[in-house]
This record gives sequence, C-alpha cells and structure tokens, in this order.
Amino acid sequence: MATDPDAIDAAFFDELRRYYSDEEIVELGLFIGFNLGYHTFFGTLKFYPLFSPDGRLLTQAESEKIYGPAPSSLKATEPKK
Amino acid sequence: MTYVVPLPREAITDPELRDLIAQGEALGVPDDLFPRIAARSPELAKPFMRALLMSHAEGNVDHRLKEIVRILLARFAGDKYFAALRSCKARQMGLTEERIEAGCGDYEDSDLFTEAEKCALRYADQMYLDPAKVDAAFYAELKKHFTEPQIMELGAFIAFHYGMQMFMRSLGAAAPAGPA
Repeated sequence: MATDPDAIDAAFFDELRRYYSDEEIVELGLFIGFNLGYHTFFGTLKFYPLFSPDGRLLTQAESEKIYGPAPSSLKATEPKK
Repeated sequence: MTYVVPLPREAITDPELRDLIAQGEALGVPDDLFPRIAARSPELAKPFMRALLMSHAEGNVDHRLKEIVRILLARFAGDKYFAALRSCKARQMGLTEERIEAGCGDYEDSDLFTEAEKCALRYADQMYLDPAKVDAAFYAELKKHFTEPQIMELGAFIAFHYGMQMFMRSLGAAAPAGPA
C-alpha cells in the first residue's frame, strides 16, 4: 500500500483471503492506512519513540541518539498518478 | 466493485454508525461506500468515521481550505473515490471548482490564494512528496500564519485523510457515479 499500491489487485486480495476474513482484511487495511499517514506526519514533527528497543523510557534527546536524526518515515513518496 | 464488498445498508443496524453515515452523506464526504466497507470491521468503523468527519468539518481551520487540501491529497494518492467527492458545506460557503483546480495545480503562482493558504497547500503537497522539506524552517513559516493548534489540526487532517485515501485506492474504489 505504501510503496507499490498498484501491486494490490484482485489476485492480491485472493491471496489475503486464504489467510484472513473480510473483517480482518478491512481492519488491517484501515490500520495500515492510518499508520501510513501518521508516521510521516509525526516524522516531520521530529517525534521520537518514547521507549528504547529493550523497553526503557527515553527522553526525546536520548531517543534521537538511538533512532537517528531523521526518522525513516521521512523518505520521499513517489507520486502515484 | 471494490475488492472487499461493502455491507448492504440494511445490514448496518448500529444506530450510531447509521447516524455517522447520514452525517457523511449530508456533508458529501464520504458517501456511504467508505463506511459500508469499514463496517466489515464493526469495532473500527465508528471511530474512523468520527475522525474522518470531525477532522474535515469541525475545528478552527477554514473548511474550504481543508476541502482543497483533501482533494489535492486524493489526487496525489491516486484515489479516484475521495478525489471525486465534494463537500456540500464547502460549496455552500462559496468554494468553486475553479478554486479547487487552482489549489490542486500551480497554486504558488496563483493570485487566488493568500500566503497563509499557499503555506497550508504546501504543507499537504510536501508531506508525502518530500517530507524532509517539512522541517523546522517550514514549521516556523507555518507559525507565521497559523496557531500551533491550527497546525496540529491541519497536520492530523492531512495524515488521516491521506491514509484513508490510500486505503480506498488499495480496494480499487472507483469515482462515484453522477455529478461530483
């Protein structure tokens, strides 16, 4: 959905249905869409994770040292026209 | 037809969800397709519909400006469904198709928009095209025209609607039949 939306076609949904119900597919799709939009927005705010990979509570400065100065969500998105 | 078949209207019996669908239809965005698909996941359908409606039709940023931003994003997302929908409220407030086209096109050189409006359109334009440009300097520029609550309202609106547009694109949703 994020990097190659044209690859999500009828065959892709047939494959999804081998493992998930329509209810689960919609839940997944809404969840992915929500995160797709918000991670980039949070990235522009320089909003860093509150916890280290081992679960320790971090300040934003500590978190920036661990996770890097530029969140990966700030990668450019190809226009999808 | 979308890859996930929407629920028939009569199968949706939850009064709150039915009311949210009616609110969407009165606004024009969304029509009943999005909530009938979302209703396949009953736990999520209501909060997602509430967020979609509230972020668009309420708040302290001009609804007409948010309507242009929404259409600009839908076109970037390649989502024919949301791109074709129009807010009746924005139309009643005087938003024209000419202004929508100008906002989705070369708005930087247009004399139809104030600097504040251009800044908001740039925010939406750059968020997913080149988010690294939405940096501290960009937010400093936004703060010349908008309060921090307005910036958060606009940013959250952009993020949520873009996400839902990508969701509808992934389902193969077409533009609704009939006049926009």
